[in-house]
Amino acid sequence: MSFYEHTIIAKQDISTPDLEKIENKYKDIITKTEGEVIKIEKWGLLSFAKKIKAYKKGFYIHYKFKGESKTLDEINKNSIIDNSLLRHLTVKYKKLDTDTEYFKEKESYEKKK
Amino acid sequence: MKRKNNKKFNKRPQNPLNKLSLFQKSDSRFSKKCPLTGKDAPVVDYKNIKLLRRYISDTDKIMPSRITSVSQNKQRKLTSEIKKAKILGLI
Repeated sequence: MSFYEHTIIAKQDISTPDLEKIENKYKDIITKTEGEVIKIEKWGLLSFAKKIKAYKKGFYIHYKFKGESKTLDEINKNSIIDNSLLRHLTVKYKKLDTDTEYFKEKESYEKKK
Repeated sequence: MKRKNNKKFNKRPQNPLNKLSLFQKSDSRFSKKCPLTGKDAPVVDYKNIKLLRRYISDTDKIMPSRITSVSQNKQRKLTSEIKKAKILGLI
């Protein structure tokens, strides 16, 4: 068992109930294949540095989980097929730090405005 | 009698421009510590965009370590981390 981080980018024109479905879908995949979700971060709608497939913005969802090779295969398989996603990335870590959130300050700053 | 505080023999730091000839190599070389190593160094991570922005040029190229004076170990980590951020469209 080792620690992983998985981020997915959903398309901008997806409605909020569908976004929750996507979030739960990958959460279920991890738990079904003997994994364990440690934390889920929603970074919200962020604008890209460059256009990706004619989209300028996207919803970011970030998972921190414990898992095996089986879970990784299942996640990669599903996120490649998924039509509502633009990009995805998994990174392996020896230790996960769950305290620092790099994208939280921006959201609160926008809400104050 | 012992002489105290003899100024004649106190070595002063030499000015590097004070050379005898042009081809003589200067003793004090320009050197700078790596900003990413040490105790209070920032974490190099693909989510830490503020840090990564400092090490790319205006045209999104990775800056060479001879300009930024990042150590070789951290430079390798920076490049891989910048590439990850580029995949996610953050930079």
